[in-house]
Amino acid sequence: MQFERAVSVEHVQKNYGKFRAVDDLTFEVHGGEIFAMLGPNGSGKTTTIRMILDILKPDTGQIRVLGGPLTEATKMRIGYLPEERGLYRNVPVLDVMIYLGRLKGLSGDEARQRSLALLQQLELDEFSRKKVSELSKGMQQKVQFAVTVLHQPDLIIIDEPFSGLDPVNTLVIKRLLTDLRSRGCAIIMSTHQMQQVEEMADRLLMISNGQQKLYGSVQDIREQFALHAIIVEGQGDWGKLPGVVSVEPAANGNGHGADRALLRLDDQTAPGDVLAAIAASGDMHVRRFEEAVPGLNDIFIQVAEGAH
Amino acid sequence: MKHLWIVARREYLTNLRRPSFLFAAFGVPLFMVGLMFLVTTLISNAEGDLDSLGNIGYVDRAGVIAAADAPFVPYADEAGAQQALQDGTIGAYFVLPADYVDSGEVTITSREGAPDSLKEAIDHLLLANLTPQAGDDALASRLEDPVTLTVRALDRGRDLEEDAAIGVIMLPVVFAVVFFISAQTTSSYLMSSVVEEKTNRMIEILITSVTPLELLFGKIVGLGVLGLTQLSIWLIAGALLLQSGQGVPALSGIELPLDLIVISLVYFLLAYLLFAAVMAGIGAVSNSEQESRQLAGVFTFVSVFPFFFFTTFLLNPNSPISVALTLFPLTAPLTSIIRLSLGALPVWQFVASLLLLGLTAALVIWMSARVFRWSLLLYGKRPTPRELWRVIRGTPMTAVGTAAQE
Repeated sequence: MQFERAVSVEHVQKNYGKFRAVDDLTFEVHGGEIFAMLGPNGSGKTTTIRMILDILKPDTGQIRVLGGPLTEATKMRIGYLPEERGLYRNVPVLDVMIYLGRLKGLSGDEARQRSLALLQQLELDEFSRKKVSELSKGMQQKVQFAVTVLHQPDLIIIDEPFSGLDPVNTLVIKRLLTDLRSRGCAIIMSTHQMQQVEEMADRLLMISNGQQKLYGSVQDIREQFALHAIIVEGQGDWGKLPGVVSVEPAANGNGHGADRALLRLDDQTAPGDVLAAIAASGDMHVRRFEEAVPGLNDIFIQVAEGAH
Repeated sequence: MKHLWIVARREYLTNLRRPSFLFAAFGVPLFMVGLMFLVTTLISNAEGDLDSLGNIGYVDRAGVIAAADAPFVPYADEAGAQQALQDGTIGAYFVLPADYVDSGEVTITSREGAPDSLKEAIDHLLLANLTPQAGDDALASRLEDPVTLTVRALDRGRDLEEDAAIGVIMLPVVFAVVFFISAQTTSSYLMSSVVEEKTNRMIEILITSVTPLELLFGKIVGLGVLGLTQLSIWLIAGALLLQSGQGVPALSGIELPLDLIVISLVYFLLAYLLFAAVMAGIGAVSNSEQESRQLAGVFTFVSVFPFFFFTTFLLNPNSPISVALTLFPLTAPLTSIIRLSLGALPVWQFVASLLLLGLTAALVIWMSARVFRWSLLLYGKRPTPRELWRVIRGTPMTAVGTAAQE
């Protein structure tokens, strides 16, 4: 079953005493998308997630999950991986998974079979009888992830899914998440790893001091922060080109540097005009040409600092 | 409700495999059987000693002994008795000096020491001969032990006979201890289970599947059944022990009365519910196992108080302290079981103590559930008593998860 609106949060507010943790927040999460929730520490992400899960009650506003207010039955269709997480330590991995699977409404047999299949997929099948305490931190993390998706939920809420994982395991989890998305699952992901958001997320919400700062598709937001500039790599006298206001060295990027330049354009000139001028000039050699769109990391810092 | 059973089942099965549970459930009965075996062997050895000595000679210079049956053999003088001892015809001999009636002095010469049973035999022989009706065995027995007591308490009739004196004193103590330990250990398991899920952060995942109350009551049910399991094992072991121990004087004639077992089970369940609710509340507001144990220790100390007043219950069953300890919920279970098995608990006190205990347990469970639900996500800080009081009254100043939100 796919939900156009898996989660809808409308004008939600939450205070702790005099401290306003969440301030008039409104957003939606759709089925079949990975929705990134970003924000500095203490910005209200965890509070928002807990209100979606009905662990906390909002002071005002309305939250609907999978088509209605959260009930015990809807809870069975949600998978939650909290940031503060752990497992029973002196219990075999498989037993913990079966127990938590049964609490999510699976029968004992179903829970066992799905656990074994997931452990195999995560290359942990040989550890199923080992106690949780005997596993490495990364392995425990993978088991926790397996528990989250064991009951094939329609909505997954996952806090810092990649912390403590090596690149190989990060890739394994990413594949599982994108796989779940293609099956129509709605995924809310809270993380500080902007690289992962750029690669995986369809839309994002950035909050700071409990307020919405950015909300929309990752693509749109990056373009919204576009600098009206281009980055070129190659040789040429860039300053001669029509519409170029200034030439600055652009030494960031992926190890390129020496012949990389940022060209700021005037308001009348589009990047395409510059590319045409370079092609027409004949004496310029261009290896790479791109619109200067800042990474989410830069946008995050810019927004977060602007908020202070 | 379905979740409650899943939680209960897990708590039961996980704690059933705990080494400390297995040790208590099976180790303690095994230890008791071993002890019983040792005692039985020692007693029968002591009884055998007299037989192994064979005949016993005596030299009566005082002229007291008029008649003596086997194994006693008279000798005219010490030299003769000495010779017989060396020849092996007798195992020991004793000498009554001429002034025995005044001094009471008796000298025993023996091949292998003088066991208690030898002294008792000589006592009996002398008593029988010292009485005017020399040789009257029954009279001698009465002189040795003039009173065989049966105490009959008017208010609740359970006759106590002195013949099984040790058993009568020990049974209620052992019985109360057994029920008490079961209620205490299982409720302390409950506390560690609550603390564990908080410290390892399992709770975050759990409360998106089960409600806090399902979780709490699932634990209470699961561990309650665990306590009943432990009790069953102990009661069966105890019954077997009593049956096989009938040959031992201290145990003969003692049986576990069914009505006492049933009443004790009722007390066990109520006591367990009260302890469990207290422990769950303590677990919910503690940040570590160690911290929770310190708090729990206070309650445990209060609840073992009745042990110090055992003689009061026995000798002065209706004293104010006995009544107070019977009615006060924390001490009621131990006190009532001890007093019931001693046969002195007026009906009104029995009913009042059960009612008070039941009501208190219900109230504490309700309070504990409120604290439990409120404090689930409260890591790293302990609420003040004032804050707790507001939570119990339903007006917490801070919302759930304040600490975790930071």
